[in-house]
Formats: sequence, C-alpha cells, structure tokens
Amino acid sequence: MTTIKELSGEPSILAGYGKAFASALPVVGSLPLPIGLPGGGGDLPDLELRAPLTTDLNHLAAYAKVCGFTLRDTLPATYLNVRAFPVHIALMTDGSFPFGPVGLVHLTNTIEHRRPVGVREELALRVWATGLDLHPKGRTVTLHTEVSDAAGEVVWTAASTMLRTGAPSGPRAERGPDPEVPASVTWRVPGDQGRRYAAVSGDRNPIHLYGLTAKAFGFPRAIAHGLWTKARAVAALEAQLPDAFTVDVEFRKPVLLPTTVTFGSVTDAKTGVTSFAVKDRRKGSAHLVGSVTPLKPVKKPRATARRAPKTTKKSGATS
Amino acid sequence: MITNLRKVAVVGGNRIPFARSNSAYASASNQDMLTAALDGLVARHGLEGERLGEVVAGAVLKHSRDFNLTRESVMGTRLSADTPAYDVQQACGTGLQAAILVANKIALGQIDAGIAGGVDTTSDAPLAVGDDLRHLLIKLNNARSNTDRLKVLAGVRPGMIVPAIPRNEEPRTGLSMGEHQARTGARWGVTREEQDELTARSHANLAAAYDRGFQDDLVTPYLGLERDQNLRPNSSVEKLAKLKPVFGGPDGTMTAGNSTPLSDGAAAVLLASDEWAQERGLPVLAHLVTGETAAVDYVGGDEGLLMAPAYAVPRMLDRVGLTLQDFDIYEIHEAFASQVLSTLKAWEDAVFCSERLGRSEPLGAIDRSKLNVNGSSLAAGHPFAATGGRIVAAAAKELHERGGGRALISICAAGGQGVVAILEK
Repeated sequence: MTTIKELSGEPSILAGYGKAFASALPVVGSLPLPIGLPGGGGDLPDLELRAPLTTDLNHLAAYAKVCGFTLRDTLPATYLNVRAFPVHIALMTDGSFPFGPVGLVHLTNTIEHRRPVGVREELALRVWATGLDLHPKGRTVTLHTEVSDAAGEVVWTAASTMLRTGAPSGPRAERGPDPEVPASVTWRVPGDQGRRYAAVSGDRNPIHLYGLTAKAFGFPRAIAHGLWTKARAVAALEAQLPDAFTVDVEFRKPVLLPTTVTFGSVTDAKTGVTSFAVKDRRKGSAHLVGSVTPLKPVKKPRATARRAPKTTKKSGATS
Repeated sequence: MITNLRKVAVVGGNRIPFARSNSAYASASNQDMLTAALDGLVARHGLEGERLGEVVAGAVLKHSRDFNLTRESVMGTRLSADTPAYDVQQACGTGLQAAILVANKIALGQIDAGIAGGVDTTSDAPLAVGDDLRHLLIKLNNARSNTDRLKVLAGVRPGMIVPAIPRNEEPRTGLSMGEHQARTGARWGVTREEQDELTARSHANLAAAYDRGFQDDLVTPYLGLERDQNLRPNSSVEKLAKLKPVFGGPDGTMTAGNSTPLSDGAAAVLLASDEWAQERGLPVLAHLVTGETAAVDYVGGDEGLLMAPAYAVPRMLDRVGLTLQDFDIYEIHEAFASQVLSTLKAWEDAVFCSERLGRSEPLGAIDRSKLNVNGSSLAAGHPFAATGGRIVAAAAKELHERGGGRALISICAAGGQGVVAILEK
C-alpha cells in the first residue's frame, strides 16, 4: 500500500538541502550502487509526497529572467519543475529511499502541459518514484510529479528519469536517428549560469556551481543544469506553443560552462510536432534533443479571454 | 498611388490593470507588460497566427537595449512572427499618436489592420551612468593595451559612479511637470475644491465601470491584479481635502490625490478597415475619424507646459467643421485635475480664445456630465505611453454601447505638446 505523506507547508526552494547534501560528499556520491541492490522496482519505497502550491511572483520573475521567459499571467511550462524539486529531494532523502539524490545523472524530462496555469491559482502537488529500471550503465529511477488545480483536475505532469551509475544491468537501447534540426540561433552561456539557475531552482548541486566543485565529481568544468537548458529551449519556443502540449527532452552531452551553443527547431506541418535541439557550436554534437507535441486542451474552470461584446446595432454602422 | 480614403474601425482594446510604482509589477519589464497586453488582445479577437499590417507602440522610459521594444514584444506573442512593428515616443501622447499613425495607413489602404499601444514602467526604470563615466568607459573599451586601460581607469573619480536617475522634469526649464501645472492652474484660478471634485468623480466613474462589467473585455488580469491598483472606490471630496499640497508651495492646491501617481502598465488597441473586421466577424466599436497634434512654447513664450491640447482641439474642430459642443462624451486625460480644469477654462475664456486662438467667440463650456464618464487617469493611474490605448478603447466601447455618438479625446504631453482625436459611431 502506498504511504502518503502530506508536507506541512509549501515546498520552499531552500528546504531539504542540509539533508540532501549530507550525502553529497564526493566520497559518498561516487560510491558504486549499494551492495546487494537487487533488480526490479521493489526496493523503491511505495511513498507519495503531497504539498500545496501557490506562486510567489518575485520568485517567478527571477526564474523567468534566468531562463528567458516573458513574465506572463500564466506559468512558464517548465516552471513547476523547480517547484517540484524540493519535494523530489524530500522523497529521495526520506530514509526509505535506496540512495540519495547526489550523483544521479539526469537522462530525460517529460512535461505534459494540459492547460495554461494562472499565476494566482491554488495548486496541489504529488510526487512519487518508479524504478529501478535496467540500463546499460546502471539503474534508472523515474520521479513523477502531478499538479492539480483547485477543482482537483490534473493540469501539469512531469517525469524525470535519472541514472544511478553502476554495473550494466540492461542491454544498450537502439536509438533511432535524431530528426534534422538546423541551428538557427546561438546562445552565449556565461560561466555563472549554473550559480544563477541554482539561485532560482534551489538545485545547488556542486557540479553546477564552480570549476573546482565540479572537478570533485569528475567534470572538467561546471556544467549547466539540464532543466535550465530545457527551460531556455522552451522559452525560445514560447510564442509558438499551443495551450496544451507535451514537451520531452533527452539530455545528452553536458553543457560545460562557459560556452556558446546553438539552438534550432523545426515543425512538422503534418503532425504539428516541433523538434528542437541544443548543440555544441563547433562539433555539432547534441547537448539536448527534444520535441513539443500538441495536445487537445482541457477546459479552464474560468475563461479569462473573452471576445468583444455582441453589438446591439448592426456591426459596421456609422453615425 | 492613393485611392479613396477608407474608414478606420476601432475593433477592440486590451490592457493590463495599471499598478502603482514599485508594487505589483515591480519585477515586470516593459517587454513583459507590452507582450501581456498584446497577447490578451490577440486571444480576445482570435488573431493567433495572423499577420497584421503593423504594430506600433512605445515607452517613454526605455532602456537603450529595448530599441526594438515593440518588435521584440510582437515576437513573444501569438501573432504571426511576420508582423512588422516599430517604436514611437511622444511622451504621454505616445499611445494616441501610435493609434493615429496606424489609422492613417489603414485609411490610405496601405495596411488593413494594425495594433497601436504603449507601455511604461516607473519601477524598472533605466538608470544611466553619468556622462563623465560614460565617456571614460567608451575610452576604456577602445583602449588597445593594458597600459592604456590603466591610464583610463586612473581617471575614475568617486562622483562619477552616481547614476543618472530619470526624473519627471522638463530638460529646458528644470521644473517638474507638477510645478509647471501649478503655475498654469494658478493663472486660471483653478481651486482646490474643483480639483478634488473632479478627482472623486474619476474614482467613482471608474469604480462604476468595473462594477457594471464595462472593463471585462478591456482589461486582462496580470500578476495578481484584476483592477487598477490606484482606484479608490470610496474616495470622496472630504477625504481628498485632507491631503497636503505637493506642488505649488505651501499654499498650492495640487495634492498626491488630484495628481496622477507614477504607475506601471500597458495597453493596446486593434484598428482595422471595416471590411477586415467584417470578414472576421469582429465588431466595429467606433471609427477613428481624425487626429491633431499641437505644441506650445512654454520656455520662451508664456504658455503653460500642458496647454497644447487647448490649441489642438479647436484646430481639429475647424478642420472637420464641428463645435466643442458636438460631442456625446469627452475623454480628457487627467494628468492633473488642474490640467483638465485649466483647459476647460481656457476654452470658456473670451480673451484666451481671441488672443491665443484668434477666434471671435470662445469655444464655450462643455456639459461636465459627459466628461470622463468611465473614469480617467486620476483613478486608473497613468503609465505614460499606455494611456492613449486605454482611452481609445474605452471611448470606442462607450460609443458602441450607446449605439452611436461622437467622442473627443485629448491628451497633454511633456515638451509642451498635445495629441487629440475624434471617434465616431
């Protein structure tokens, strides 16, 4: 039976760190999988965390600025990722979880954006994990997030799959060729990008902060947060996003800071699917590949957009 | 080739509620707010993916990096990215002047539809470095060697670090707009009581407009605001009478109540040919008939800084053969209650109308019950460039609800300028 824990208050982006990074010491983080960890998902706790959620406009504005979003009356599609993050940390540091969050490698992030979510909406968040699944480089765990509105309707979901590196447990998956996405713009990503995103996401994983702290974890330089790279890509597409869509990304090569990368997108006229990619400017190898797939929108409880009033006289009449 | 002039329809408007400075929109940039106002207009009129003839807007307080503010905003909206845009700036006249520019192109048949608007933030205002430091930094950037750079840096003085903060001040007179208006008001004998009365009515009218749902399709909520933050539905002459004067010295009559506060916000209005609106099943709220702009010499001459509309209106009336009394509603932007009252007194004054306007008869009085019937800037606030869009949309909708009529719009602007226009239904 699923154990449900209600968090007492809203997840704070500052919460959970002491605990998370008690196990963040390089020595602990670089340990192989705990001995005797068997396959299958049986070892993840059957635990669900719940928390209420409202939006702090100053935090939203800071996030929008760091990621390149316009500050609107609705939340950027990727914003709830950072609101879910402390709850993910709480889940993984619960004690019943087989390992801590540090050292996990982010593989994919999928968001289902079922409708635009207003900045004043009162929301509820649920987080749970599934896995451990087989992977050629270890085992994977998937963190699920579901956000519902005041009426209990699910408005936003996300799934993040993370790799816990270790002995190969599964065959190498065959990957089809990436869609052709020509680079159209370049982004200069400064050396402090990781620190800037850490400040708004709360994800102060040392691999993102400084060259020295990243080296301790085996990276030559600090690397950008995968979810920042995704957010920046979604921000670049924001004017063409429909009301309801899924946006999937796969994180490939880490973005070593500072750097200049390219971004491009292409939309399939038949399916409406937009493929996009963030690539190394020189080598052309992918840091991130992703796609936006339109969904049928769900109804909002209260429409904010209204058309002009019905005219009482014949339209077009003049004095 | 110019063909016959076409009528220009005001199809609809949209704005975000106006916020008081450094408050609800303190984190929002001009681009954020203009994008929000445009996107609301797009959503309300089903313009997603549509290529419009042009979008024209501007901001009075603008960062130098925002040189293409309107085009950048358009690219963040759901309009087709093929919609061209440009920025204009004529102080508080920006929004109305933008509407006149778009309307003229529609009238000439150069475009079929366009959006005019404006935005301003006094919270995210641009700070500039002083000229001394700016010149030094340019030298530093041009320096070839480290030795040269050090030499340049040796010239930095502590006083240079103080930024230049934009001030509500006329560059040529060094006086704030309020001080200018205090002089004009005194010249016209504008009393404290009549200013407070006008202010209380502005609040009451705007509150009533919200209460009866008039604003429902003119305003889209933004960042927690659903109504203008400055609106005081319970404002009264008695409460306003308690405020201390802020302009014109200790005996001044102008207070923080009967002057507009610094505010943040954005507004946009959709203009089109009748055919364009008809094809899309969109209403024609009213037609923008004509506009006029005037300027007065408030530096070397002896005219008041904000008196240009007093000249623009009669010029426009003569051109189209109307009198001041031929209007069903008057939208006179309330920069200060004293500005509105000075203008009305000037039009009633035989000497002013004869000596300054060269008319044998004064323009005369207006029926005050037709003035700013849905409230104006004293209640709503006045994000400089956004005011024109607010007024055009609200006046057009008022005429539409009445089923016909004529509106006079008048907006005073810094630099001794005034932009005025006529709407008809």
